[in-house]
Amino acid sequence: MMSAPVLTLDCLSIHYGSTAAVRDLSLQVLAGEVYGLLGPNGSGKSSTLSAIAGLVRPTEGSIRLQGISPGQDPFAYRALLGYVPQELSLFEELTSCDNLRFFGQLYGLSGRALALRVAEVLEFIQLTELAQRTVRTLSGGMQRRLNLGCALLHRPPLLLLDEPTVGLDITARDGLFENLRDLRAQGCALIFTTHHLEEAEQLCDRIGLMQQGRLTAEGTLDELDEALASREATPSRVRRPRLERLYLEWTARSLAQR
Amino acid sequence: MKARILLIWTLACKDWKLFLADRQGALLCFLVPILLASAFGTIFHRPAQSELPRLPVLLVVEDDSPFTGRVADALQANPHLVVERCTRASALARHAQNDNGVVLVLPAGFKRGFATDTETANRPEVEIHCQPGREYEGRWAEGVLTEVFLKQSAQEWLPPLAGASPLSLERPFAVRHQCLAGECSLAAHAYSLSFCGMTLQYLLFWGMDSGLLWLRERRRGLWRRVHVAPVSLSSLIAGKVLSTAVVALALIGVTFGFGAVVFGVRVNGSLLAFGGVALAAALLSATTGLLVASLGGTEGRARSLSILAILALSLLGGLWLPSFLMPTWVQRLALALPTTWASRGLNAVTWRGQGWTQVGPAILMVLAFALAFLLVALWRFSAQDHQRCCKGDCG
Repeated sequence: MMSAPVLTLDCLSIHYGSTAAVRDLSLQVLAGEVYGLLGPNGSGKSSTLSAIAGLVRPTEGSIRLQGISPGQDPFAYRALLGYVPQELSLFEELTSCDNLRFFGQLYGLSGRALALRVAEVLEFIQLTELAQRTVRTLSGGMQRRLNLGCALLHRPPLLLLDEPTVGLDITARDGLFENLRDLRAQGCALIFTTHHLEEAEQLCDRIGLMQQGRLTAEGTLDELDEALASREATPSRVRRPRLERLYLEWTARSLAQR
Repeated sequence: MKARILLIWTLACKDWKLFLADRQGALLCFLVPILLASAFGTIFHRPAQSELPRLPVLLVVEDDSPFTGRVADALQANPHLVVERCTRASALARHAQNDNGVVLVLPAGFKRGFATDTETANRPEVEIHCQPGREYEGRWAEGVLTEVFLKQSAQEWLPPLAGASPLSLERPFAVRHQCLAGECSLAAHAYSLSFCGMTLQYLLFWGMDSGLLWLRERRRGLWRRVHVAPVSLSSLIAGKVLSTAVVALALIGVTFGFGAVVFGVRVNGSLLAFGGVALAAALLSATTGLLVASLGGTEGRARSLSILAILALSLLGGLWLPSFLMPTWVQRLALALPTTWASRGLNAVTWRGQGWTQVGPAILMVLAFALAFLLVALWRFSAQDHQRCCKGDCG
């Protein structure tokens, strides 16, 4: 069943002075879909994510989130967005509850609605028992979950996750993934960047491979595999996980074409 | 509009929670200005019941006439001086080691000045040596010498003219010394000055602290996250101004409350005008913080530059010592500093006992400086936002 696109990027280009960080990027993310944006360092993933978050102004092209562009109505646009930065952007001196309340209030929640939503999110990220503990006393995994929770209070239809598993052990990472799968099940669209290909393989419905600012390949794992196989046969001598093999081959092919 | 006000309130509440999260830090924040003001007040305090100060004089008498001897005796008996007679060499040697006082030399032929020969070139030359920067002590000694000399001269010359009637050489008027402190006791004056000065200085440091918190939050990526939320730059700035200004007002209240209870510091002028000055000073503190955050760059650089600027503003603005002790050019330069006007306003409503009319210009000047700081900060933040969005670093 095809869902409606939540996010549409159309011919997006981002230039920093004379340097092109993103070139002519077009993609769509559907409701209830996890879209993995992969690529080597400097490939344009972070710039793309920053542009979608409204932190960087695109040089050309358009971004539409449920039909609204950031230039058209910035506040309405930002209200549709949840952003989980790579660094733990939390007030360490405050409690988990205070952090959630603060970020909820930034999105216009107040009173009983805020209290209910904070309680729901605390339960969702499994921190209800630790709601009154200051952030600095929580473990790394708990802090990561709280970092996610702060982006969920206003029930955004699109969630941006910039390498959300940095510094997590396997157990904490699995806990976070469980949260993300639940969100997907609730119809939230997720864009996810990571350097860990096995994470993308586990979690993402579709994957976009970026190389030197361009989207060089896009699709499900099967589609990427199929597309690669139909174009050239370059069997690898080393046995690798499926996405890792695809990633390396697409990257190599993209470089060879330049 | 209501949503915007709620948002500003949310941002300010967050800052207050962060401030109170470190309870010892918050306590010290209120204690430090009290300790500083108390220390400065104690150092400069002169008990009200003590005598008026007397000038130490090392008197050298090089004329052996009886008239000069009587002048020297009268100087020693004068209630305004503490006179010690010694030789020129000893007096100059001791004077070189002293911090205050003068050397007064009555030269050989001093009595000639009393004689009829008053040609300028032939007048005996009295030497008065004073310490650098304490020329007023020399003038003080000169005044007393002139008074004593004229009295002695009158006693020499007038009795024959006056005949048998008794001659009174006392001045025909009394003098009552009244300080500007109005109803405020003299004892509290040093404390009034120190509580005004040190409170204002600490408000600037509090503003700096607030600015550094802004930089710290930006470094930790918190502003990046806040920027993604539907929050405008003006709301962020308004929230920061509100949170900083409210704590600054509390600092003024607590510090002056302590000064009033413990040292008798009083608001002798209009209480409403005191509120006006306090509000203007609190806004100045808040916008100083914004200026620090917008101009400072890194946290370390901002801290160093701010400390330098605040100490200079405090010294030149008369927060440590009354500005009349400074050279005229410094006093003129100080008119271009916000601390001078804030200090004038606070001094005016406390120990000077003035009201709205006299304090109004000072309040307006402080508000003008606060507005200027705010505009510079807004311009800098907007420019930084634009630059970051074009460079891709929106931290």
